[in-house]
Amino acid sequence: MASDSVIEAVDVRKYYIVGDYLVKALDGVDVDIRKGEFVSIMGPSGSGKSTLMNLIGCLDRPTSGILKIDGTDTSDFSERDLAYLRNEKIGFVFQQFNLLGKLNALENVMTPLLYARVSPKERRELATEALERVGLADRMKHKPNELSGGQKQRVAIARALVNNPSLILADEPTGALDTKTGNQIMELFEQLNSEGRTIVLVTHNRELGMACSRQILIRDGKLEK
Amino acid sequence: MIWENTKLAFASMKANKMRTLLSLLGIIIGVGAVVAILTLGNSATESITDSISAGGLEMVSIFPVSGQKSSETFDEQFCETLKSEINGIDFVLPMNTSNANFRNQQETTTAQLAGVPSNYAELMNYDAESGEFFSQEDNIFKRQVCVLGADVAEELFPDGNAVGQYISIFRTQAKSYQVVGVMESKDAMLSVAFDNYVYVPYNTYTQRFRKVSMVGTYVVRTADGEDPIAIGDSITSYLDSLVGSDSYNLFSPATLAEMAQSITGTFSTFLAAIAAISLVVGGIGIMNIMLVSVSERTREIGVRKALGATNSDIMGQFITEAIALTLVGGFLGIILGTGISVAVTNLVSWTLHISYSSYIIAVGFSMVIGLFFGWYPARKAAKLDPIESLNYE
Repeated sequence: MASDSVIEAVDVRKYYIVGDYLVKALDGVDVDIRKGEFVSIMGPSGSGKSTLMNLIGCLDRPTSGILKIDGTDTSDFSERDLAYLRNEKIGFVFQQFNLLGKLNALENVMTPLLYARVSPKERRELATEALERVGLADRMKHKPNELSGGQKQRVAIARALVNNPSLILADEPTGALDTKTGNQIMELFEQLNSEGRTIVLVTHNRELGMACSRQILIRDGKLEK
Repeated sequence: MIWENTKLAFASMKANKMRTLLSLLGIIIGVGAVVAILTLGNSATESITDSISAGGLEMVSIFPVSGQKSSETFDEQFCETLKSEINGIDFVLPMNTSNANFRNQQETTTAQLAGVPSNYAELMNYDAESGEFFSQEDNIFKRQVCVLGADVAEELFPDGNAVGQYISIFRTQAKSYQVVGVMESKDAMLSVAFDNYVYVPYNTYTQRFRKVSMVGTYVVRTADGEDPIAIGDSITSYLDSLVGSDSYNLFSPATLAEMAQSITGTFSTFLAAIAAISLVVGGIGIMNIMLVSVSERTREIGVRKALGATNSDIMGQFITEAIALTLVGGFLGIILGTGISVAVTNLVSWTLHISYSSYIIAVGFSMVIGLFFGWYPARKAAKLDPIESLNYE
């Protein structure tokens, strides 16, 4: 496969033991996501969608199979290496925003750079830039509880962008928003994609999934053709 | 990173002020107790040594005890013997004292009557305020003259002008003495309240009041730069071999001061060690609140991990928080302990001698407690699974 694959999964399996049962959350999945794609991963709950997302997000390692992020195989990565990889390659956007409540918008966006050991001055510059990009230049000093849902999600997107990751991984990003705000957030993703960002959207909302340029459907741990 | 972690730690303390204060109470009280005990111990030691050394640590007093050997040995000439036998002695003075009543017309008072040589005032650095101390001639001719201490003069001659007047001294019978001098006020030495004395020539006293040749007290001054404790020890061993230890008592402020210092020092160290145990109890409070904090912030930990925080990043954040907590407790404890010390020293009128070393001990100890009791909660936080913590409600 070409070197412009951001995610390259070959026969990826993830098994859990729950009590006396072996749960095959993912049972041989092949995925190839290219640079600049806007892909949705869709499936009902319990389909293995979240497991796949966790693997792509480097929060977990597969039981077997090959999973390459930006050409790097994560199979034998230590926890520390996975943390570095998340920091460098992945920008997360969550359904519940997951902003840090004691920090203002700017500080929230600066956090990934803190773990990347970027200097304070550069942190501030990059975070300001990212917040300007999502249209929140005037909300930088606001705490999350002083922001609307849509604004919170924009801060979260700025935080996902700030490290210039290879992939933005959004988990039901409009799930906690009303339709109008949700559409605005989707528009923002589309804009970012048109600027060349690779975006993976995880959702069970069919309409939202179909809005992406490609869909990966998953059911019972396997891809649906 | 340390700076960001410290900011976070203080932000989280501010968010839960009451809880923070309550969980810090153990540390605050523990540190406060250690600081107060060490500072009060310090102040007590200083105030005891101050009062012991008020009359001069260089003085040693010898009190002969009546007995055959004493009567034969402890005469006036023994002053010279002692001075030549022991190195490092500046002078030895004989002194006899007793209680007596004094009267000037309508004014009466009770005070100490002392028979001393004519060079007593000069050697003791004790100056006359008016008139002068009696002369060697007065002593040789056993004249009935006296010199008044400041307080006695005030009692008997409230209007002043004592010099030249006559007072009556009552021991077994009243005798009339001419006042030749009034002394200036002088701080009391532990055994001698100078101001409450009336001084008469040594020979006059012996003839009129004592009628035995044994000296009541030898006042010894050690030479400048000599160690009074060592000289006290040499005098003791010399006298022990000469008359036996039952025949005299020796009193040395320097020895007493050293003893007092070592007793109060040991005592306050002991108490501080007990108080330090309460710091361990305080540490358990810290561990408790840190465990609560970790479990409350499970989701935050998950988010931070998703953003790229390593286990050591998370560990550092929570260790910093625990140390910051205990340091705040330490500082509040220092304020509390110092406050208590100020209040107590004021109450018992000691001079406050702040034990700065106790501040350093307190801060150092708090940090160690924070590190020790923060370790387990921080490790627990660091080991949380990112996926589970992200889904934690």
